[in-house]
Amino acid sequence: MIDDKRREIKKKLRGLQGLPTLPPIVAKLTQMIGDETVSAPQIAAVIERDQVLTSKVLRLVNSAFYGFPRRISTVSNAIVLLGLNVIRTLVLTASIFEMMQSRDIGLWEHSLGVAMVSGVLARELRLENPEEVATAGLLHDLGKVVERASLFEDYTRIQKIVQDQKISWREAEKEILHMDHAEIGGYLLNRWNLPERLIDPVSWHHEVSGAKKFPVETAVVQMADLLVRARGFGYGGDPWVPEPEDLVLERVPLDRSRLEKLWPELEGRFYELRFFIQEMREALSA
Amino acid sequence: MRKVLLLSPEEPPYTLWAEALRNHAYQVEIFSTIEEAGERILFNLPDLLVVSESLQPELARDLIFALKYDLSLASLPILLVIRPEKLPEMDWKEYFVDDFICEGASREEVLSRVELAFVRAERLADNNPLTGLPGNTSILRKIEEIIKSDEEWAVGYVDLDNFKPFNDAYGFSRGDEVIRMLARILVHLVDLYAGPKGFVGHIGGDDFVFIVPLEVAEKISQELIRKFDELILNFVDPEDRERGCLITTDRQGVLCRMAWPSVSVALVPIWKERFHHYGEVAAVAAQLKHYVKKIPGSTYLIDRRKEERRNFGID
Repeated sequence: MIDDKRREIKKKLRGLQGLPTLPPIVAKLTQMIGDETVSAPQIAAVIERDQVLTSKVLRLVNSAFYGFPRRISTVSNAIVLLGLNVIRTLVLTASIFEMMQSRDIGLWEHSLGVAMVSGVLARELRLENPEEVATAGLLHDLGKVVERASLFEDYTRIQKIVQDQKISWREAEKEILHMDHAEIGGYLLNRWNLPERLIDPVSWHHEVSGAKKFPVETAVVQMADLLVRARGFGYGGDPWVPEPEDLVLERVPLDRSRLEKLWPELEGRFYELRFFIQEMREALSA
Repeated sequence: MRKVLLLSPEEPPYTLWAEALRNHAYQVEIFSTIEEAGERILFNLPDLLVVSESLQPELARDLIFALKYDLSLASLPILLVIRPEKLPEMDWKEYFVDDFICEGASREEVLSRVELAFVRAERLADNNPLTGLPGNTSILRKIEEIIKSDEEWAVGYVDLDNFKPFNDAYGFSRGDEVIRMLARILVHLVDLYAGPKGFVGHIGGDDFVFIVPLEVAEKISQELIRKFDELILNFVDPEDRERGCLITTDRQGVLCRMAWPSVSVALVPIWKERFHHYGEVAAVAAQLKHYVKKIPGSTYLIDRRKEERRNFGID
């Protein structure tokens, strides 16, 4: 099937030079990098809170030049391999959104929440590498950042029909772009040579049957996405909480009582994240 | 085609220089902000960088420093463009550049400088092609230097156990990835704990040497082991990881189970008068290696015969 809109978008994605991110995160990191008492793990901890910088660091370490294609999936490992000087350069030259309002932070807040919950669920299910699943959670909505940064006209149209027709962001995307943010994000991560362990959950977090190699990790990210929306943390583009797919309930066997037991821990972690988000909001409005 | 990246205003003389370079079969791009250029450099490395100092002096210096300080980027030649009247006040130790061009330079001069920079880069051939790290000549020179030093140092000999079966099972290209990974972890740990005093060299194959002040040597070895053991898992296929070993054939062609690579470090402390030439250091390292290789898994061993030797020296 020939679909001009899809082709146009993919062409744009291939030409994508670099994604901008939140100005306060870059400002904070720039300040940390200039301070000699700040250690590599502290810098990693801030980079891990930003989906755009995380994707950049992973893209770089998995690039042909650095020589670890499709192998490295966490920021802390990437930093050991790239070294602080490269990270410094990356931050020093990171581009930022020119026009950013406090409410735009909602998407970062949502992504952070999903990263955290994905990590906790992965640990609860005793998956092999919870940190990696958390990274997949952080990146799951990267496609939405791309829409905001590089497809702005379409982005505002999607925003408008979400509001007028009361449909989900994803349905609106399909109408306007003929593809959704999961596909956009997965497409980019694949072009950037990221490991499949990250691509699968990003590409299929709304349709977990598509995830062939990492089905459980993918289901965890969908579950985390729903829980974060239900909890009311951040803003994923629309206010709805979709039903989990049956496959997700099968693959993430956490019944009500187990979730209830987990909840106090999750609440504590949400609380911590809120501090960070608040700091970013204040820096933006200052 | 060689890629030259100009970091300068997009106006004469730079546009003219770019044109002249293009006429000589260079591929040239001009970026007029460091933000744009930085991302371009990292994700699409040029073969040579020309930076105009007057563009954003502070940021230009930081960028050059960061690039030149990184081992894998340090071989990128950088030429700095400055105003002639600034020459007397330039402190070249602060600028890690390979050469400079004055703002009023002619096109012919720019072309020659660029060509010369490439020729010079090719002459520095001691570096290992796989990792970009200094090779045997530099290692030898560095060890000769520290055995005469007043400070206390340690020379660490690093190599991998079970590297051959890993190569047999997965092929050489994955083996090369592991070597590069080891090199990178080592370089960054040495940088982190020893800063500019540290040194890392690549003897060849899976053999490396690092040289650092004695007090950080054990810490670096411990961290190296920890990080290597964690990262090597990314290079082992999931089936093998689950099984806990690689299946390969031994020298007699019999199928057998092998562990995946681990890392061994032999640390030789060095103080003034302990050794007189390079060969003695290598001999002690060989003794240590003999012991460290008998211990399964990743380990390090430090030669603790310090006091003994000192007394011996006094006798």
